[in-house]
Amino acid sequence: MISRRKALRAGAGLAALATVGAPSILHAQTKTLKITTWGGKWGEVMKATVLPAFEKEFKCTVSADQAFPFLPKLQVSSKNDPIYDVLHANSNEQWNAVVEGLVMDKITAKEVPNIADVYPYAVSDKIVGVTIFTSAIGLGYRTDKGLTKPTSWKDLADPKLAGSRGGYLIPVNSLGQAHLMMLGKVYGKGLTDLDAAYKALEALKPIKLVDFTGQMEKMLLSGEVSMGVIHDSGVYRYEGPNMQPVDFASPSEGVLALEQVLNVTPGSKVKELAFGYIDYMLRPDVQKLLAEAVWYSPANKKVKLAAKYDAKLLTTPEKVAALIQPDWKWYNARREDIDARVTKILKG
Amino acid sequence: MTTAARPSPIAWLIAPAGLLFVLFFVLPFAVMTAMSFYSGNPVTNPNAFLTTRHYERFIFDTAGIFHEALWSTLRIGLITTVVSLLIGYPLAHWMARMQSRLGHALVLMAVIAPMLTGIVVRTFAWMTILQDKGVINTTLIQWGLIEKPLPLMYNEFGTIVALVHIYVPFMVLTLTGVIGRIDERLEQAARSLGAGRLRAFVEVTLPLSLPGILAGSLLVFALSISAYVTPSLMGGTDVLTLPMLIAQQVGTSFNPNFAGALGVILLLVSLAIVVAYNRILARLAGGQGMA
Repeated sequence: MISRRKALRAGAGLAALATVGAPSILHAQTKTLKITTWGGKWGEVMKATVLPAFEKEFKCTVSADQAFPFLPKLQVSSKNDPIYDVLHANSNEQWNAVVEGLVMDKITAKEVPNIADVYPYAVSDKIVGVTIFTSAIGLGYRTDKGLTKPTSWKDLADPKLAGSRGGYLIPVNSLGQAHLMMLGKVYGKGLTDLDAAYKALEALKPIKLVDFTGQMEKMLLSGEVSMGVIHDSGVYRYEGPNMQPVDFASPSEGVLALEQVLNVTPGSKVKELAFGYIDYMLRPDVQKLLAEAVWYSPANKKVKLAAKYDAKLLTTPEKVAALIQPDWKWYNARREDIDARVTKILKG
Repeated sequence: MTTAARPSPIAWLIAPAGLLFVLFFVLPFAVMTAMSFYSGNPVTNPNAFLTTRHYERFIFDTAGIFHEALWSTLRIGLITTVVSLLIGYPLAHWMARMQSRLGHALVLMAVIAPMLTGIVVRTFAWMTILQDKGVINTTLIQWGLIEKPLPLMYNEFGTIVALVHIYVPFMVLTLTGVIGRIDERLEQAARSLGAGRLRAFVEVTLPLSLPGILAGSLLVFALSISAYVTPSLMGGTDVLTLPMLIAQQVGTSFNPNFAGALGVILLLVSLAIVVAYNRILARLAGGQGMA
């Protein structure tokens, strides 16, 4: 027979369990969207404004992973229950992901209505998923070193810049990879002319190489390099009180696109919500907020930026026409050979 | 239950360490080794098959970079170890023989202090000192001693300087313990029997401190061949080590299987070197194995 004391104790225990269990029951009713996103200023704006507003409107919670690299984590998670619902990555990684069946190969205006308003580059055949922003890769240079503003990619090869020009470790940086293809276009028959690109790369030695863009910004700011390959936002963000003697130049041969691409994982359990998130990120007000925070060019044609951003970013069909989109599928398929070749060229 | 069947209290104390070792070394290493023999991830990709192609890729090295990467990893490890030993030994000897407790504590603090700062921070500090617009080059140019900056970093030299700075404390701490336990009277006896200072050191103290040299060198060697942050920040394009290649394979080439193979190869090669080193030192010390 159960004594009174025992019964009371059991009752208290049950009550305690129920209290502990309650939030998780509530939690199960709200959907969770698992996304990847950048850190830095972008991450601050996302966490402070963009994501809370999304959670409120779509009555969900968003769990955002900012710890790069994302793709290896997606690779080891189950395809039926992937670690992310939406993958935010640059275009070359999205192409790596699609080859392994980790992301969808096409997203249309049917799933994401705002796609109807994006510039063609955002959903071109060079993109898997949807581009929400782009940067332009061109040349960053010091304005206090007596250099004339570069007008061509060939200006980086100026002998005066020996040892003070900057580039990337091509195997680990997509700006370096895009620049290599651009060398093929400028010095050879086109973006896929690797022989011409290798020759041109050899001619850029001695060159200082870094593995990520933040490092290139640092080298430009410290004067360690006088001219280097960089994306426009990496230069424009030093404005106002942070003004530095650096500027960005768009070479006449065209600028390379550094796209911020969103894509949905095929195994996502909350696909509708995932598409809703992409649609939300393409809304003109959200696009304006983020574009002006980090100097990214919005993919949505209808966005009206403040004058100072509008003057510099790619916000008209004419300006957007200067964007060159590399064929990452082609590049990734040859990647091992290219990595080995450029490593040998740049070593020593 | 009998008392004899009960595990000893020591076993219980060792259990957490053992569990950690199994969970965070044996198990991951086994998974990595298994992965290195697959074409893809067998858990998520049903088409993944068993293959030795990752090892073949390394062994035949048609790309011509992998053997060089292995060699430069080992070279950087060896030079870092030797330099750390040359810097660390006199310091450790001085510390071990110091009479003043306060002096000993102060030197110990000085040795340990750099370890209180993260490796990334220390490496960045070296960058501001050694880069072309860094402290050394700017000063020398200002004084008119040189016209062009000296190539102090983005090469093996800079990498080794930073690695030595990071790993000398490991060498010193290991050696101090061993040298401190050597009976000073043995050296005094040798000297009273007519040996000079140098001879007494070479024939008495040095052989007795071999176990410390072995342990310290192995520690520094293991740490420096597996270093990733320092070579990638200080080395520029001149330095490509296996840990950098492994990170590249996982993080940007998305080929964890090849990365696994590289990891296994690095471990096997370093094990072989450690065994050989142990043998040689044991022979020098009079035929006993020491580790």
